[in-house]
Amino acid sequence: MQSESARMSSAAEARFRVQAPNSKPRVIKVIALDALSEDVVDRLAKASWNQATFFTAAAFAGAPRLEQRVSKEGWLRDLSGRTRDLIDEVDTADLVVMVATPGENVAVAAMIGEACSHKRVMTTALIVGATSASDETLSKTLAQVRPWSLMVVIANADDYIEDMLSALRA
Amino acid sequence: MIYNGPTIVEGEFCDMLRKAQNDLLTQTGPGTPMGQMFRSYWMPALLAGELPENECPPVRVKLLSERLLAFRDTEGRYGLIDEFCAHRGVSLWFGRNEECGLRCPYHGWKYDVTGQCIEVPSEPEASGFAQTIKLKSYPLIERGGVLWTYMGAPDKQPPPPEWEFATVPRKQTFTTKRLQESNWLQAMEGGIDSSHVSFLHRGDLDSDPLFKGAKANQYNLSDSRPVFEVVESPGGLYIGARRNAENGNYYWRITQWVMPSFTMIAPRGNHAVHGHFWIPIDDENCWTWSFDYHPIRELTRAEVSAMREGKGIHAKYVPGTYRPLANKDNDYLMDREAQKAGRTFSGVQGIAMQDASLQESMGPIVDRTKENLVSTDNGIIMARHRLLRAVKALVEKGVLPPGVDPAHQKVRSAAIILPPDQPFKDGAREALIARPDVAPASV
Repeated sequence: MQSESARMSSAAEARFRVQAPNSKPRVIKVIALDALSEDVVDRLAKASWNQATFFTAAAFAGAPRLEQRVSKEGWLRDLSGRTRDLIDEVDTADLVVMVATPGENVAVAAMIGEACSHKRVMTTALIVGATSASDETLSKTLAQVRPWSLMVVIANADDYIEDMLSALRA
Repeated sequence: MIYNGPTIVEGEFCDMLRKAQNDLLTQTGPGTPMGQMFRSYWMPALLAGELPENECPPVRVKLLSERLLAFRDTEGRYGLIDEFCAHRGVSLWFGRNEECGLRCPYHGWKYDVTGQCIEVPSEPEASGFAQTIKLKSYPLIERGGVLWTYMGAPDKQPPPPEWEFATVPRKQTFTTKRLQESNWLQAMEGGIDSSHVSFLHRGDLDSDPLFKGAKANQYNLSDSRPVFEVVESPGGLYIGARRNAENGNYYWRITQWVMPSFTMIAPRGNHAVHGHFWIPIDDENCWTWSFDYHPIRELTRAEVSAMREGKGIHAKYVPGTYRPLANKDNDYLMDREAQKAGRTFSGVQGIAMQDASLQESMGPIVDRTKENLVSTDNGIIMARHRLLRAVKALVEKGVLPPGVDPAHQKVRSAAIILPPDQPFKDGAREALIARPDVAPASV
């Protein structure tokens, strides 16, 4: 007798997979950490997304050292220039994607990462334009984002971000 | 053949791999974009042992949805030709392998290893009729105990494959193949999905003879939540999994993926290094090729014995076939007691069949519009991104895809300990390149 497993694996049975939705849209916050990444994020924001919103923290590149006690209010701007509360934004996120460019000051990753850690929100760092960066430059950027990123992607071209967000149902 | 399937649309990737994109990546028959891409490479077609001697029986081979026949003639030449006689469509598998050709038993038409008909007994030899008949054929070469074929345009045939496992001395390498009853892509994606190892294979690190005893296993077991980094490489991707090591350093395991379907898993201790190829048979089946080799030493008898017994990444077979003994018709010999007791995580025994059982359970071609990828799936997302980009460049501009260049094939996986701020691509630069007589970077 053929087993249930064998039948389930057939092309004929695959047609009977339940068609109902199996997930709710995820809220993804995409944050540029530096001025160059801001251009990438700005371009991305012009596309149509379900639950993705776009910010910049480039203006806060001179972030305080972690041990300094500072408020986490502010620290973000939306792309129209309004200041946003970092904690509020992280609190409503399922995933925070930080976009960084090698060689830029991305110390603000620590502030964002700490907020995500506090709220137990998953973080991904995307380093774009790495093809032309030296190992030393890339190393400096990695040193700033690695401690705060549960996933790091080093992409040669920034068109990957769009594909990644689509794949994540952003 | 006119291809009426999906085409590549600018910027189209969305919706968790749209159906059109899923079709594009999973369909590899003649005339399809992904089929054209696979036909750019030398691919493993058979084990050399399947054609063990001159004039041995021919072997039926289906690759990329084409039915072919492999044979070895009187002088040891290999041929891979259209399976069916040009006369009445009889399968030449019934043919007689004799005197430098394969003779159809129906009316005696005879073909050489290039598919050229060299004799039609019913026609006068002087008529030249035989010369007008030629079956489609592909080159078939032996390298590293594997017979490789190239199914693309003859004028674009690349140099022979340079994968290290196929170029080291024969006593240093061991390769098997097994039938996988699913599309190639979902199988290959399992090979670059490093995050499943901590769950599905957690019972095997300490027990499998081809894994146990390495110091690195302790890093795996003491830090079950690795952090991943995905980096583009010339031929595909480096997928790094990092865990905490001593003195604030990181222990890195770096998997190589080279397009379209080669993966190499990071080594452990002085064990052999291993990896896979996934080669489409048709759109609902593929061959999982599994190799183990050591760059600087011969494999021990114990290692080869374990591989033959289906340990490590290999599998036991239904006798006389390449179908795994644990297969979907017997529920993969599911052992619920072992699952409950934690001896295996899924209840299926052996790394190979733990993977295959779950990948086949997705159905012959998984419906990717229903998947919910998460951040740790970036290796898979990036691989699809690169495949789509490469296939578009090939189809529209004729750009050879990554992985065809032999330099892209001279790669190694690596396990290495690095300072916390060092990019693994930089710190492991030498370790990620295959160098003759140089030991692999392993912990």
